[in-house]
Amino acid sequence: MKNLLLIILLLFTATNLVAQHNHNHSADNTLNAKEIDSEHSVYHLDADWTDHRGDVVRLDDFKGKPVIVVMFYGNCTDVCPILIQDTWRLYSSVDESVREHVNVLAVSFDTENDTPEVLNKYAKYEQLDIPGWHFMTADDADIRTLAMMLGVQYSKKSDGHFAHSNLVTVLDEKGRIAQRVEGLNQPMNEAKATIESIMDRLNK
Amino acid sequence: MKFLTNIAPVKITLAVLAVLMLSLPDMVGAQVLVPSGSFHTVMPEVKGEPVAVDSFYMDMTAVTNKEYSEFLQDHEDWKPGNVPSIFAYKGYLKSWENTNSDEVVNPNQPVTSVSWYAANAYCQSVGGRLPTLNEWEYSAQLMDFDSSVDAQEFASRLMSWYSTFDSENIGNVGSSEIENRHGVKDQFGLIMEWVQDFKPVIANDLSLDCGTVGRMQKLGNAYSYAASIRYITRMSFSPKSTNSTVGFRCAYDVATIEEKEANL
Repeated sequence: MKNLLLIILLLFTATNLVAQHNHNHSADNTLNAKEIDSEHSVYHLDADWTDHRGDVVRLDDFKGKPVIVVMFYGNCTDVCPILIQDTWRLYSSVDESVREHVNVLAVSFDTENDTPEVLNKYAKYEQLDIPGWHFMTADDADIRTLAMMLGVQYSKKSDGHFAHSNLVTVLDEKGRIAQRVEGLNQPMNEAKATIESIMDRLNK
Repeated sequence: MKFLTNIAPVKITLAVLAVLMLSLPDMVGAQVLVPSGSFHTVMPEVKGEPVAVDSFYMDMTAVTNKEYSEFLQDHEDWKPGNVPSIFAYKGYLKSWENTNSDEVVNPNQPVTSVSWYAANAYCQSVGGRLPTLNEWEYSAQLMDFDSSVDAQEFASRLMSWYSTFDSENIGNVGSSEIENRHGVKDQFGLIMEWVQDFKPVIANDLSLDCGTVGRMQKLGNAYSYAASIRYITRMSFSPKSTNSTVGFRCAYDVATIEEKEANL
């Protein structure tokens, strides 16, 4: 009898999932691949993100200017502070007149722990609750998609920690990958030059 | 059909019976609970330590051409021609090419030639997600054999299947007659399947050369060698890959399914 109930429940569940999804989708049919003029733009990812200020943002809100993206998680106390520090090193090395146009997206892949509130505390603790910096979270599937596009690998381990790549990415004004800095404590001069040359081009 | 054998003494209404009879022959879309446990992987990062996996639900069978075509009806963005090249190589859904637009060819075969991004979007659209690599592999090895001879025979069958993949003749879902002890079907025997983290982080340290298999852990069981081949094949994929031998099925958090049930 238990099996029978389970089968029926599952059948209804499947139908329900599909029906509910269809309903949601009619109100949210918003991917606009055509508006993004590069085939290789990260901004094709159609998703809502929440930042550490509690605001809902979309990746293409940041188009038109260079963007630095880093993926991390808050409970990572060994490596991630270095990764965030690396990102700060790049950001702060950029010429001041350029820096005000640069946005930094620090995306957590730990959706279980890194709520917008936790990210807010994290930003404050790292003294990075500043304009231009956005600590962000979203649905797991969207975070994983962004990671795939950037080439960031991460896997959750049994102990709740993540094995992950250490990567800082510079996106150009169209959301294309302009520079990747792999590994911790790497020199940032090339990435800095990339950001400044993007802004030079945009100012012409 | 074996579910029916132990319910004979129980009273069920005709309506329920009708639903059951209509639905059972076509279990496509059903999900199976895979209870928590642990397993040994071939990945070198966890030498000797079993990998723990929490309970999760997984589709009983891979997503079919029919199911995928239904997804496309609601998701124009994922129709061939609308997908930006950051999400798929040109071969996306190439198996559908010579078909009339309204007709789904081989509706009950698993959909293949779909990129990781497409598979991920499909699972998100049905309230699920792609299984993690560990979930998929854990489920795949939950098989019972009557004897070590049977297990050995299965291992050889598996190896010959991996080495003679025929993407022209993929069977319908449920047709492989391979199923784990909880009823998850066809993890071997039809197609390879996308998982959420198909490129494990460790892959950076494991270059894809002829020695790679030798450096992986030998588990001394029926799956060891075939599993190494499978891990390495997956690592060689790009998320844009659209292989005619690769499809997918979705997984679901237990909480997701329980919430849906509570809302019935």
